[in-house]
Parts: sequence; C-alpha cells; structure tokens
Amino acid sequence: MTAITAKSHQSRSRTLVTILSFLKKYKFELILIAPLLIYVLGFTLVPVIQNVSLSFQEIHVGGGFPTLESYKELFAKYRFTEAFINTIVIALVSVSLELLLGLSVALMLSQEFRGRGLFRAIMLLPMGIPTVVAATNMRYIFGSSGYLNEFLYDVSSLLTQIGIVNAPIGDLNFLQEPLALFGVALSDMWKVTPLVMLILLAGLEAIPRELYQAAEVDGASLWQRFIHITLPLLRPAITSAVIIRGIDAFRIFIHPLALGVSGQVPVLASFAYNEYTNAHLTISAAASSILLLMILIAVIAYLRIVGAEEVVR
Amino acid sequence: MKIRRWLVRGLFILLIISVSLVVISPVYFMLMMSLGNPQETFATQHPRYLISELYFAEPGDRDYTGTNWDNILPKWWSRVLLEKAPGGVRLDADLASRLIKSLRVAFLTAGFSLLIGIPGAYAISRLAPRLKYGLMLGLFFTRMYPEVGIALPIAVTFLKVDKALTGIQFYDSPFGIELVLAHLIITLPLSTWILVGTFDTIPVEIEEAASVDGASRIGTILRVVIPLAAPGIAVATIFSWLASWDEVTYAIYLTLFNRTLPLEIVNIVGRSPPPVIATYATLVTIPVVIVTYFLQRWLKAGYLAGAIKG
Repeated sequence: MTAITAKSHQSRSRTLVTILSFLKKYKFELILIAPLLIYVLGFTLVPVIQNVSLSFQEIHVGGGFPTLESYKELFAKYRFTEAFINTIVIALVSVSLELLLGLSVALMLSQEFRGRGLFRAIMLLPMGIPTVVAATNMRYIFGSSGYLNEFLYDVSSLLTQIGIVNAPIGDLNFLQEPLALFGVALSDMWKVTPLVMLILLAGLEAIPRELYQAAEVDGASLWQRFIHITLPLLRPAITSAVIIRGIDAFRIFIHPLALGVSGQVPVLASFAYNEYTNAHLTISAAASSILLLMILIAVIAYLRIVGAEEVVR
Repeated sequence: MKIRRWLVRGLFILLIISVSLVVISPVYFMLMMSLGNPQETFATQHPRYLISELYFAEPGDRDYTGTNWDNILPKWWSRVLLEKAPGGVRLDADLASRLIKSLRVAFLTAGFSLLIGIPGAYAISRLAPRLKYGLMLGLFFTRMYPEVGIALPIAVTFLKVDKALTGIQFYDSPFGIELVLAHLIITLPLSTWILVGTFDTIPVEIEEAASVDGASRIGTILRVVIPLAAPGIAVATIFSWLASWDEVTYAIYLTLFNRTLPLEIVNIVGRSPPPVIATYATLVTIPVVIVTYFLQRWLKAGYLAGAIKG
C-alpha cells in the first residue's frame, strides 16, 4: 500500500517537475502569449460554454438545468425544418460552385497573357466590398425588374428574333420563392469566390513547372495533365478552401438579411437572431448550438473523407 | 492549325471579358443607382445599363435644399450627406455619428489586434513545433463557432455589467467599446495567423546575433524583429481594419441606437428608397477601396495560405 502511494507520489512529482521546467523554459513566451490566450478564452470559449449551457435551461425560469425544453420548442417552431435544410443546401451549393468557379479563374490566371494584372485586380475586387454592400447590390440585380432580368430579356429577345427561342423571358424573381435560395447562394458566391480563387492560385503556383514539361514530353494531353498532375497536387489547397468556406457558409446570416429575404429563406443563424429579438434567449442559444454541431459534423466528416493528414502538414 | 489556335485564343479573351463584367457589374450598378434618375434605374420595368444624366434635386422636391449644393451633389448624395429634409425631419439616418463610430471602432480594433497579436504571434512562432501547431489549430477552431452564438452570451453579459455598475456602459455604447471587444474575437486569430507566418520567416540566428551583442530580449524584438516583420504587420493591420469596418453580426447584437455604418444599411433596407441605400453602400465602400488599394501591393496568396494552413 505504502509502496503504491510512494510510487504515484513519485510520478506526480515528476510531472510537476516537467511542468515547472517547461514553465521556466518558456517563461518569456508564456508572458507574451498570455493576453492573447486570456482574450480568446474569455471572449470565445467562455461565451460558447455559456451559450451551450443556456440552451439546456428552462425557457421561462432561466434555471432547471439541464432540460431539453428549448430544443423541443425549437424543433416545433414554424419553418425550423426548412431553415435547417436551407442552411445545408446553401452551404453545399455555394461551396461547390465557388470551388468550381474559383478553380476555373485560378487556372485562367495561372496562364501568361497580356492584361493579366488587370484581370487579377478585377477578380479580387469583391474581396474589398463589404458583405452588406455586396448583398444590397444584389437586390437591384435579382429583383423582378432588376438588371439580371433585363439582361435575360435582352438576350432572349435577340434569340427570339433569330428564332431560337419562342418568346423572351425576363420575369424571374430571385428575391422570391422558390428562387430566393439561389439568390442568397449567388450573392454569397459573388463576395467570396475571390478568396477561394486566391487559395487555389497559391496551390497552383506551388506545383513545379517541370512536372508539366515532363508530362508533355511523354505525350500527355492537356486534360490528362489536369487530372493526373494538377488535381492531385492541388488537394491540400482544395481542402483548406473547402473548410474555410464551408464553415462560413453554414454561418450565413448577413446575406439573407441585407437581401431582404430572411423571411422567405430562413437559415439557422437568422433563426437564432429572430429568437433573440423575441427575447427567447434559450431557444436562440439552442439554434446556434445546433449550428455548431452541424459545422463540427461537416468538418469532421470532410476530414475523414479526404484524410486529416493533409491539413496537419 | 493556325485557325484553331486563333479560335481558342478568341474564346479565352471572350471568357475573360465576360467574367470580368460579371464581377464588376454589381459595383457598377450601385454607382449608376446612386447617381441616376430612378426612372432609368429602379422605378422602371426595363432598367438601363447606362444612365443618360446625373440626377439632381429640383425645386419642389422634398430633398431640395435651396442651396448651392443642389447643383453640385446629385440628389441622392445631397440627401445622404446633407441629411436635410423639410421641417428638419431626418429621412434616413444620422450619417456623421455612424461614420465616426465605425471609424473609431475600426482603428481601435486594428490597434488592439496588433498590441495583443504581435507579442502573442512572436511567442507562438518561437515555441516548440508541436505546441505551436496545437495553439494555431486552437485559434482556427475559434472560427467554427457561429457568431450569433457568441454574440448572444456577450450581449447578456454586457447588459448585466451595465446594470451592476453605474457609470459604465458597454451595451450600445456611443463610444463603441462593446464593438472593439467583439471585433477582436474575429481579428485576433486572423492577425495572429498572418503574424506567425511572418515571424516564422525571420531566422532565430538574427536574434541570437543581437543578444550576443548585448541586446535584451525585448530590445531585440523591438529593434530587430519588428522592423523586419513590418510588411506582415501592415497586412495584419489592414486585414483587421477591414474586418472590423465590414462587421455587422456583432453590431446587430450589441447595439441598439448607436449603430455602425454597415449596420445602418441593413437597417434602412426596405425603408429608404433603393438609390439612398445604394448611396450609403457607396459611402461604406469608398474607404475600403482606398485601403485595399494600398493592400494590393502586399496581397499575395502566400500570406493567406500561411494564415490558413496554420
């Protein structure tokens, strides 16, 4: 008995010594990091824990921890299922389209041509436009008498004259159901595709030119080079882009609000906000906790599929 | 063969031009909307791609001020900038106070991001690789939580503190301290990522050489490391500034009357006429365009990639 206690005592004091020597070794570094860590803990970790624990409290009393009352109430809310599905659809649609477009533009920019600098500057323009502004601008473009419809009308009238189309179109309203969902996804796309493009371009520029030259010598076609060299070597960059963008896409909130369609396209974040304005704090907390769970599941599932070692490099 | 090459080249140019047009058009239409006659832009079934004239307020118009400004500023700009309405009624928003709050919050946020971020990032960059990686990953995970979920408990806490302590106002403060504290949640991880990437490129040997010459560690950081890291620090500052200037979610939760400029746009959507919203949107964009113009030089994918990969 005494032997065991002595042993555990010994091992405990050994860990203590390790910790102390670690503290001594990194004393200066730890002092420098302290404000950063304290801030992140106090203003991110603590609120997150508060929020999750709030979601398990009783709705009216604000006590009675833990109870699933808020979650039951939330699931029974009008259009909650729709908000849940919308959030997933927007995340899937916008991230995959952004990847496709971002990759296309990055491939274009990796070519040598005159005016490339100007093209690059134009492509990066949306990064500098505030999200609110990006979304409000889309209102004039997507509305029933907006510029997109005008453009569609002009093109289809032209095609009608030639005889390809029967009658001009141009009354698609992207700010009304059922298209409003795509309006939100498109608005988000315009704003963030440049970021995806920039990440992928960095990945493209890191691929050694010699690989392409060797493949060309071996007679590989342009398509074969893309499939067998570009895509495999671009995987880490694609993973970064998907994770960064995926997290943000799930949290989409400002776009529906500034487009004025948050009533028509409920998403989880605006659900949480509406419950907050109705002073249903526990239900709001429940909605954002579900959003967190969704993001966690999506990130873990994605890393399982592509292999986590890519991010750990 | 030659024809085919010309064809491919022509298609490539066409593609580049059409993609550019799609990217530019929302900003272009915003400008047209804020400068033009609504009969040509939004109050019509067929908006015009190019406005035929600048639209000025005329006598009898409710936005007519009767001063020289009516001939200088287009109607919507004079309405937004001069905020003059018949009977002194404010039509849209109190522009000046919104602008001042937005600017103050953005500069303070950028400043505090550096004050906390530089020492933190320097130390992280000099830690053992495993520890460093863990910390960077931890910072990355702070991005995963929905902002609406962090903003709620913070709003509740601020309201409680305001109630408990007289003389201090956090929630909806005119100064903007609540937003500086909230925006740091976004900008600290962001600037730390960028700065760690920068400090990593500065060899430890330089510091060792300085310490052999008798410089203290803090002296070495201040006089040797920070000047070398200046470009990265500039990028981190500008990104923090931009993130704070753009931010709306925390502003929605933490303010009520003392709104920021971007939040004001959300607020007047559906209330003010579209050209007024477009004018506000242009106003919010102008400082950003100026700032990103300076950022362009440094905006290399490398910074972001380093920031993202961790």
